[in-house]
Amino acid sequence: MIFIVMAPIFIMFKYSLSDRASVVTGGAVIPLWPYEPTLEQYRGLLSADRFIGAAITSLKTALLAVIISLILGVPAAYALVRYRFPGILVLTTFLISIRFFPDIVSVVPVVEVFTPAGLVGNVAGVAAAHCLLSVPYVIFIAMGVFESIPGDLEEQAQVLGAGKITAFFTVTLPVALPGLAAAAIYVFLLSWDEFIFAYFLMAFSDLSTLPVLLRKILSWTPQHNLLAAISVLLSIPVVLFTFIVQKYMRAGATAGAVK
Amino acid sequence: MPFLPFIRTVRKNIYGIIILLPAFLYLAGFSLIILFTVTQMAFTYAGTEKIFFPALQNFVKLAQSPEFRSALLRTILFTVAGTPLELLIGMAAAFLVVKKFKGRGVIRSIFILPLAIPAIVTAIILYILFDFPGGHINEIIMGRHAFFPCQFVEYPVDWRGSAFSALAVSLAGKLWRDMPISMLIILAGLQSIEKDQTEAAATLGASSFHIFFKITIPLLSPAIATVLVLRSIELWKEFIFPYILAGSYPLLSTLIERAYHEWRSPNEASAIAVVLLVLIITCTMCIYYMLAYLKKRLVRI
Repeated sequence: MIFIVMAPIFIMFKYSLSDRASVVTGGAVIPLWPYEPTLEQYRGLLSADRFIGAAITSLKTALLAVIISLILGVPAAYALVRYRFPGILVLTTFLISIRFFPDIVSVVPVVEVFTPAGLVGNVAGVAAAHCLLSVPYVIFIAMGVFESIPGDLEEQAQVLGAGKITAFFTVTLPVALPGLAAAAIYVFLLSWDEFIFAYFLMAFSDLSTLPVLLRKILSWTPQHNLLAAISVLLSIPVVLFTFIVQKYMRAGATAGAVK
Repeated sequence: MPFLPFIRTVRKNIYGIIILLPAFLYLAGFSLIILFTVTQMAFTYAGTEKIFFPALQNFVKLAQSPEFRSALLRTILFTVAGTPLELLIGMAAAFLVVKKFKGRGVIRSIFILPLAIPAIVTAIILYILFDFPGGHINEIIMGRHAFFPCQFVEYPVDWRGSAFSALAVSLAGKLWRDMPISMLIILAGLQSIEKDQTEAAATLGASSFHIFFKITIPLLSPAIATVLVLRSIELWKEFIFPYILAGSYPLLSTLIERAYHEWRSPNEASAIAVVLLVLIITCTMCIYYMLAYLKKRLVRI
C-alpha cells in the first residue's frame, strides 16, 4: 500500500525533472529516472507570464475567500456556541450541512446568476463561489475552537469591567487564534485546489487559477514534463500546509466530506 | 400577545443574532437562489417561437437521448462499484495503522499524503501514467522494464479509448485520492472501541475471526455508515477524474459540463443537474434506512 500511495507522487516528481530526451523517447522505454535531471521546466515556468499570472490569480482568489469566509464564519460560530436560543441546533445543522450540496449541481445556476451580476471571469466571483463551500467549514472548525474555550473567562473579564466586545477581543480571540489560523489555512487550501467553480466561471476568460490553467494547457497536448512541473508547484503549498494543520484537517475530514 | 416571548428571546440574544445574521443570509440566500434557479431552468423549455414554463420537454428530450441514458447507466455503475471499494480500502488502511508498531507515525503520515495532492493533479498524474501508446503502465504490462519481465499484452492499451478502462482509471484515481478520508473515519471508529470488550471476548474463548465479525464490525457500524453515505454522495457527483480521464464517456456530472459548454443548453444542463440531485437524495436515504435496518438486526444488546 505504501508503494501504491508513493508511486504516483514519485512519478510526478520524476517527470517534472525530466529533460526532453527522457520524455519524448521515440519508441524507446521511458526511463524511471531521467537521463539528465534538469530544473529547466521550473525555470521556464517561473519566467512565463501565463504561469505567474495564474499563480497570482490563485493567490488573490484564495486570500479573498479566506478573508470573506472568516469575516462571515467566525462571528457566526461564536454566536452558535455562546448563545442559546430555540432552534439553534436546527440552524447549526442546516448551516453546516450546506457543504453536502453537490457543487456540480450548483455550478450552472451560479454561473447563470453571476453573469448578469458581472461576477464571471474575475477573482471576486470565484472567491464568492468558494465561500459557499468554505463558510460551513469555518463555522464548523471555529465552533470547535470556541467550545474548547470556557465562557467563564469572558464573564470574569466582564465582571472586572470590560465590555462584551473588549472581552471578546482581549480574552477569547488571542486564545482562539491558533485554531482560527488553521481554519484560515483550510479555506486557503480549499480555494487553491478548487476546480469546478473556477473552471466554469473562468472558462471563456483570459484569467485562470492554477487548476484551470492545467486544464486549459491540457487541451494543447503539452509535453508531460511541463504538466508535471505545474502539478508539483500546485501541490507544494498544499502538502506543506496539510501537515501543519493535520490535526484540524482530521477533524474536518472525519466530520464530513473534504474537497 | 403571542409574540411577546419571541420578542423577549430576540432582545436577550440580540448580539448573537446580529453576528450570526451575515453568515446565515449568505449561505441560506445563496442556496435558495441556487435551488430556485436550477429548478426554474430545468422546467423551462425554450421553443423556437416562445418560451414554455413549466414544461417537461427538457426531461423528455433527455430521456430520449442515448447519450443521457448511457451516462446515467455509467454513473450508477461507477457509484455502485466505487462505494464498497472506498470502504474496503479505507478499512484496510485503518486496520494497518491502528496497531502500535515502530514507525507507525511515519506510515500514517504517508497514508494521509493523497489528501494533500489536489484532485486535478492526481488526475493529471494518471493521465501521464496511463498514456497511450507510451505511458509507464503500458510499458510495464508490455514487459519492457527489466524489473517486471512478465508480458501481459503485446500492443499498448488505449486506456482512454474504451468506456470500461477510462472509467476504471478514473475510479482508481478517485479511490487513491479519497483513501485517507475513509481511513481517518474508520480509524476514529476503531479507536473508540474499548479494549475491554475484545479482551473479554478473547478470555471467553472467542477466536479472532469471531471477535472481528461479532464485536469489531458491529461496533464500527456508525463509522461504516458515515463512510458509505459520504463516499456515495462524492461518487455520484465526481467530476474532475472522469472529466480529465474519460472525456469521451461522460458521467452525469461531466454531461452537465458538456450540455452547458458544448450544446450551449443551460436548460438541459439544469435538467441533468436536477436528475443527479434527485438520485443523490434518493440513494442517500436508501443507504440510511438500509443501514438503520441492518443495525437493528446486527446489534443486539
